[in-house]
Amino acid sequence: MAKIKTKNFGNIEIADTQKITFPEGILGFETEKEYYLIIKEDSPFLWLQSSKTEGLAFILVNPYLFIQDYKLEINHRDWDSIKIDPKKDDFLVFAIVTIPENPEEMTANLQGPIVINPNEKIGIQAISLNDEYSIRHPILDSLKTVLSQGDK
Amino acid sequence: MLVLSRKINQSLMIAENIEIVIVDIQKDQIKLGISAPKEIPIVRKELYDAIKKSNISAVNKKGLPDLATIIQKNTTKK
Repeated sequence: MAKIKTKNFGNIEIADTQKITFPEGILGFETEKEYYLIIKEDSPFLWLQSSKTEGLAFILVNPYLFIQDYKLEINHRDWDSIKIDPKKDDFLVFAIVTIPENPEEMTANLQGPIVINPNEKIGIQAISLNDEYSIRHPILDSLKTVLSQGDK
Repeated sequence: MLVLSRKINQSLMIAENIEIVIVDIQKDQIKLGISAPKEIPIVRKELYDAIKKSNISAVNKKGLPDLATIIQKNTTKK
């Protein structure tokens, strides 16, 4: 277990297996290469918390909640950099959530997905080659549906 | 920055494996054809910049507001 400082949950203990390395960082934050993936069982959101900067954390969400046939098309180099063969290997895909002043206008970035190799614990922010997806895809309505299904 | 003049259908090479050809020229727009090995990432710069900007605004907020409250508020309103 590791003790880390988080932006949203204060000081927490987290399993070392949740540590994900981003060799190229995340666009705009290239010098931050190490994050912890925090999973909250009762929430559709996950957190990608920088291991060294308490104030740096991204909120992530599963893009398939919003676009069921979301097609992840990314460059070969991106697949190689996280040691994934998309035809064979398992990988995780997330979208970064932005919550503006009015939280009802929250959006997810479907154009710059976070792709993680869960076995090697390596991640990347890829740029989708399929540019029909929005950087600011509104998500509140879909979340309402998801959460109400969860209540049943 | 190196600046070169090219005409339609002319091209240039970057190293020995990337070719950029001028496919079409209109008033304020040109069409480029790019042949490069598949591991070379090619992205329009404004997309790259927009994702960067979106990332920065994604971390500016203090934290996640209570989702249940937002959804309830939003449902009540309708």
